[in-house]
Amino acid sequence: MTELPEYKLDRIFDAPRELVWRAWTDPDVLQRWYGPGAETIIHKFDLEPGGMWLNEMKWGGNSNFQKVVFQEVAPPAMLVWHHYSSTDAEWNSMTNPMMADWPRLLLTTVIFEEMGNKTNVRLSQIPMEATEAEVACFAETMANMDSGWGSGYAILDKLFAEQQTKGEMS
Amino acid sequence: MEQIGYIGSQPNLDAIFAALADPTRRAILSRLLDGQASVNEIAAPFEISQPAVSRHLKVLERAGLIERDIDQQRRPAKLKAQKMAAAVDWLTEFKAFWETSFDQLDNVLFNMKQTDKKETNND
Repeated sequence: MTELPEYKLDRIFDAPRELVWRAWTDPDVLQRWYGPGAETIIHKFDLEPGGMWLNEMKWGGNSNFQKVVFQEVAPPAMLVWHHYSSTDAEWNSMTNPMMADWPRLLLTTVIFEEMGNKTNVRLSQIPMEATEAEVACFAETMANMDSGWGSGYAILDKLFAEQQTKGEMS
Repeated sequence: MEQIGYIGSQPNLDAIFAALADPTRRAILSRLLDGQASVNEIAAPFEISQPAVSRHLKVLERAGLIERDIDQQRRPAKLKAQKMAAAVDWLTEFKAFWETSFDQLDNVLFNMKQTDKKETNND
């Protein structure tokens, strides 16, 4: 059991690699898409090995802080960073408030592959310096994600929607 | 009562998803959306025995998805929607994080290409 669980996401974008690279490395563009449905504020963005990306995401009245430390910057082909999944407002790494055993640190690799006028983006995240509990939590999440939980979610969404309609959210 | 599904307030995803994997248990949860119910009331629409319903309720209770009133004789079961929501939210949140961000990136790239085109035409 030396192999660590990995999150992988590949997506082909209909844009040339230089443009996709710019969308990932120009903070003005990055904050327009990073963070689903959130207002993303990039407090700092030093694109060089050892440089930091300090990221705040606002959902409703709450802020979620993340810290990234770049390890490798190879334009326009690859980015490698250490991803502190949760920090306090002073950017100190902390336990995830929603899931105590979520890995605090994820080694993130983004590879940009040229495919004619398109670009294949290959994202990978692996727990780093993780405790056994963190590795287990991450592995479990990956397993649930891969095992067709889509239908399970659909049922729950319906349950919650029904309940909210009834105004009975306890 | 000890809640095996939870360590402190942390949801144990394994227990929750195992509990939700069974269609009868999901139907029971659906029933509890209408409000708390006793084992008799829950068992009525199902073609299963009361002991079987009790066993399902135990699994749901251990996963922290429902609670049962110990002060009353009929021990009505009640949904604990917020804890269930928290666990599911967490899974969906991580899954959705990059996928939804990538959808947003699609749109941003489309707009960038339009802008670049305009700038080229203006030259």
